[in-house]
Amino acid sequence: MTAAAATTGASTPHSDGDRLLDVRNMQTRFHVMDGVVPAVDGVSFTLDRGRTLGIVGESGSGKSVTALTIMRLLDIPPAEIGAGSEAWFDGRDLLALSESEMRKVRGKDIAMIFQEPLTSLNPVFTVGAQIAEQVQTHLHVRAREAWSRVVEMLRLVGIPSPERRAKQYPHELSGGMRQRVMIAMALSCEPKLLIADEPTTALDVTVQAQILELLKTIQQRTGSALIMITHDLGVIAETVDDVIVMYAGQVVEQGSVADVLLEPRMPYTMGLIESIPTVEKRGGRLSAISGVVPSPFHLPPACRFEPRCPYAWDTCRDRMPDLSVTRDAERHARCHLHVAGAASRLEAAVSQHRQNMRVGRQLTDSV
Amino acid sequence: MMKFVTRRVLQAIPVLLGVTVVVYAILLAAPGGPEAKFAQNPRITQAQKDSFRKAWGLDQPIPIQYGRWMGILNPSGEGLGVLIGPAGLPNFLPTPLSGATNGVLHGDFGYSIDSGEPVSNRIIRAALPTFILAGTALVLWIVVAIVLGVYAAIHRYSLFDQGATVFAYVGYAMPTFWLGIMLIFAFSGPGLNILPAGGMTETRISPPFGSPEYWVYFGSNTPQALGDIAKHLVLPVITLVVVNIAGDSRFVRASMLESLGQDYVRTARAKGLPARTVNFKHALRNALLPVVTNIGLEIPFLFTGAIVTETIFSWPGIGKLTIDATRDFDYPILMGVLLVTSVMVVLANLLADILYGVIDPRIKY
Ligand SMILES: Nc1ncnc2c1ncn2[C@@H]1O[C@H](COP(=O)(O)OP(=O)(O)OP(=O)(O)O)[C@@H](O)[C@H]1O
Ligand code: SF4
Ligand SMILES: [Mg+2]
Repeated sequence: MTAAAATTGASTPHSDGDRLLDVRNMQTRFHVMDGVVPAVDGVSFTLDRGRTLGIVGESGSGKSVTALTIMRLLDIPPAEIGAGSEAWFDGRDLLALSESEMRKVRGKDIAMIFQEPLTSLNPVFTVGAQIAEQVQTHLHVRAREAWSRVVEMLRLVGIPSPERRAKQYPHELSGGMRQRVMIAMALSCEPKLLIADEPTTALDVTVQAQILELLKTIQQRTGSALIMITHDLGVIAETVDDVIVMYAGQVVEQGSVADVLLEPRMPYTMGLIESIPTVEKRGGRLSAISGVVPSPFHLPPACRFEPRCPYAWDTCRDRMPDLSVTRDAERHARCHLHVAGAASRLEAAVSQHRQNMRVGRQLTDSV
Repeated sequence: MMKFVTRRVLQAIPVLLGVTVVVYAILLAAPGGPEAKFAQNPRITQAQKDSFRKAWGLDQPIPIQYGRWMGILNPSGEGLGVLIGPAGLPNFLPTPLSGATNGVLHGDFGYSIDSGEPVSNRIIRAALPTFILAGTALVLWIVVAIVLGVYAAIHRYSLFDQGATVFAYVGYAMPTFWLGIMLIFAFSGPGLNILPAGGMTETRISPPFGSPEYWVYFGSNTPQALGDIAKHLVLPVITLVVVNIAGDSRFVRASMLESLGQDYVRTARAKGLPARTVNFKHALRNALLPVVTNIGLEIPFLFTGAIVTETIFSWPGIGKLTIDATRDFDYPILMGVLLVTSVMVVLANLLADILYGVIDPRIKY
């Protein structure tokens, strides 16, 4: 009952005691000059308390918009949230809350960490003041108590001499230090859910590992749930229990991280995994997915991956595949390879993938 | 911080020196020269002209003229002694040390050709009216521009924002002289004669502004005197603020919009802060950084005022003094005004720099 699952026809899972987040058929569109961008198109997933979920996908696949829709941080307009969209959090549909109720959720129950720690912190206030502000807003404590909480949080995220650092401005800290500040800020009110949108992308490689490690240990210690958004499957492999793969605004595969990474059941996921550079693949051919992400204004009419898919056939151009249970039952894939009559095609795809991966066991070893 | 200020002040000195050279050169290059006033006058004899030239030092080489005007050279010195002031120290030093009183460095801008008064007296007398008019206008337009710009940015594309945009375009495009004349026509014309068309005080009831008698009158009738000035201020202030509100509110709006689009504003919202705090603390604080610099640069306006507006409304300020001096070929006055203005601009830049350093923690000294 812990795996991210359940889409079509599930019974009221939000009443379940373990269930923290239940996103159903979420649709977010942007009205722009050239038309309408269906940035998130019918995304559904669930997350249980204390669990970690990864969202992966290429740039523009709708990962950030998914998170920002849950947080209700998009400006409406130009954004528009589809009528049937729901995001049940702790028994309440976030998308139906009033703005003032939602404000009490943000920063308190759900906290978010962004990609660029420098620009995400206000340059004209000290980092301590920026954390204290959040603590005072939600915990209604006095300035003095808020400040000791600030110092305590900075210490928790491994910032040396936190009393001094709290009084510094963002530009006086290093990149990794700033991201630690962001993490301290996000965790300051003990959120039930932490959303990290590419938290390490802007950092040096060595710092990336430290920040991931920090996120993981803190998540385990505080027991909050975590959504890790990234385009880096390596990060996913190291940090999360379950994963959803997004392509052109849709979820195309979901399941436990081991299942999805070791035995992908959808050609796009396979391609993503094959394109990871590993030590053993060095010098060999790196199989990037051919073609480009489709323009949001000219999406393929049926399967959105069809123009780039090496296994596509007629059916793929006729009907859009549903996100349905695969034969493994534990996970879902949006691909016609899983319909009854396509068993041999699926077999071919899977064995081709195995062959492509033989050259690189690096990633799978780390799972 | 102190080091930064000191360094910037020291850097300003060569700039200021350069400014004096340029001011001097400009007026040297201008047609006519100080003698233009009576060049065409047949009753002035050549001997009189020569003695005028000698009295004004116009018979000297140009560098000497400049040196005397600046107060670096002692006009009564001989040979290299021109560099030494009456007290035996270099002439350019302050009066208590050098004993020198001539030249710009010692506060001596020469004498008005027209009235024979010291230029500094004329400038000081005109500065107060300009300060009153420009100061009122500046404070008003900055406050209105900030409120307007910030509100328009927060409610982008709203009816209010669109209205503000239309106002800005119209206000910016409207010529000042035309607006001034229209205002006089509307409020001081034969129809709705409720505001004075010009001047700074009602001369039928009070002595001319700035005269010793005026201050006696002011002391015993303060409320009436202030009310009288306020009434005279209305139309010129409106004339001045419209175009400036139009420009500056756009500037504030753009700056605020940029702030509102920054990542840290998204962070502030993600923290669950009320919209008020997000807008007026996180976004506004950053949006005001360039605005403050801009205000710093507008400060010379307090001295220079607005020539056109002062002329239309016969406001007895620096603008009018400049126009009158130009008409009368009163070169010492023009040089004085030009020099003080340039110094103000340099100092305002310096102030803006320092101010920016104070309010933006990212500026390193
Ligand atoms: N404010 C916006 N206005 C218009 N379109 C937007 C806006 N924000 C996102 N989009 C569009 O929505 C789509 C999904 O964007 P999103 O930022 O969610 O991608 P992503 O998966 O997070 O990619 P990345 O890895 O680059 O962060 C993109 O096509 C993007 O251009
Ligand atoms: S549905 Fe067809 S085109 Fe789409 S991913 Fe599956 S096999 Fe490829
Ligand atoms: Mg993103």
